[in-house]
Amino acid sequence: MTTGTESAQWVRNWSERYGPELGRHVAAMVGNADEARDIVQDLWVTALRARPEAGDAVNIRAWLYRVATRRALDHLATHRRRSELLAARSGELEPGTFPAADAAPGRLSEAAAARVRKGVAALPRRQRDAVWLRWIEELDYATIARRMGASPEAARANVYQGMKKLRRDLAEVWREEGPI
Amino acid sequence: MTRRCTTCHEEDVLAWALGDPDADAARKLAERMAACPVCRERAVDYRILQRWAAGLRDGPVIRWRRFDSPFGAMRVAASPAGLVALSWQDENDDAFVGGLEDRYPSTPVVRDTDRLGPAEEQLTEYFGRRRPRFDLLVDFTELGDFQRAVLNAASGLAFGETVTYTDIARRIGRPKASRAVGNALGRNPVPIVVPCHRVVRTDRTLGGYTGGLRYKRALLDIEGRTDLLRSHGQTEMPLA
Repeated sequence: MTTGTESAQWVRNWSERYGPELGRHVAAMVGNADEARDIVQDLWVTALRARPEAGDAVNIRAWLYRVATRRALDHLATHRRRSELLAARSGELEPGTFPAADAAPGRLSEAAAARVRKGVAALPRRQRDAVWLRWIEELDYATIARRMGASPEAARANVYQGMKKLRRDLAEVWREEGPI
Repeated sequence: MTRRCTTCHEEDVLAWALGDPDADAARKLAERMAACPVCRERAVDYRILQRWAAGLRDGPVIRWRRFDSPFGAMRVAASPAGLVALSWQDENDDAFVGGLEDRYPSTPVVRDTDRLGPAEEQLTEYFGRRRPRFDLLVDFTELGDFQRAVLNAASGLAFGETVTYTDIARRIGRPKASRAVGNALGRNPVPIVVPCHRVVRTDRTLGGYTGGLRYKRALLDIEGRTDLLRSHGQTEMPLA
């Protein structure tokens, strides 16, 4: 059980220590200091909720970088989505770009989920096995290797090949058929 | 046109997105992505893919597993609702998976040796005559109504019990359709578990079996029905 004071202390402690450099990092990602400030503000709310337990052997600085980077990427994805919609309306949609990340996890529309699922289904067999177990089920490579009946190196190589292919294929879908 | 970046690799960004590097390496990668527009673009793509993953987790997927059996390499597949395929006829994994891909063109078919353990276990017990009844769910949802009715009727047959094609036709309310019943049983996607081998002809001959009559004989032998294997058509068989 944590108290409000304890939470406030946690945020104060780490934001004093790493706030400025996280701010610079996010600003470099999104290219705008004001937006970066908002993102880092929000970041502490998320971070507080998901913070590692005291005593967990976690590199807090690296962990905060991960959270901050994800927030910045989400911001960029949303921003990209907006500018694409504007561009699409004015008939000058940039090719090779991705749709919507402003939907929160689990809010992927049924049609979009079906499209992505089809993309996964269309991967070569071994890549599909590996991508599913790593990307969807988030298993580690030793476990994936065992479940696939392959070596960890092969499992990993298959994950990477499959993910790269998936990224290209879905960009293609986006280009041909518009936002999914 | 894809821009090329001379200082960074897509693998690094992907590794970051998958959470593969250790903490310090991940931080350094994040800093590098902040400085490189190409990396950043790729990172956004992978971040989107990552968020999509959550939406797929609870959706449809077909998982399969291969194991050894007295009939040779046996492959079994299941949807979240139950078994959809059982086969020992396929030459290799690709042939089996290819068949599933044709049946389920928009559902990922994934090998997963950690699932379907109960299916392997129970089939192994069955071959060892230690399991008269399967406790496994079967998913008939993508089959037609007629075939589903036929397979449901066959599912009700007990270990060692046999009925005729005509009996099944009668049980599903289509008494004249015994030939169609035979065809539907021949296309049983989950043989053994759905015991189509327990359906024989009225004259006590075994009828057909997809993949070879010797398997039907072997299965009836496991179930102690040697009476059916010796000769044909001499006496009227008591049917359940």
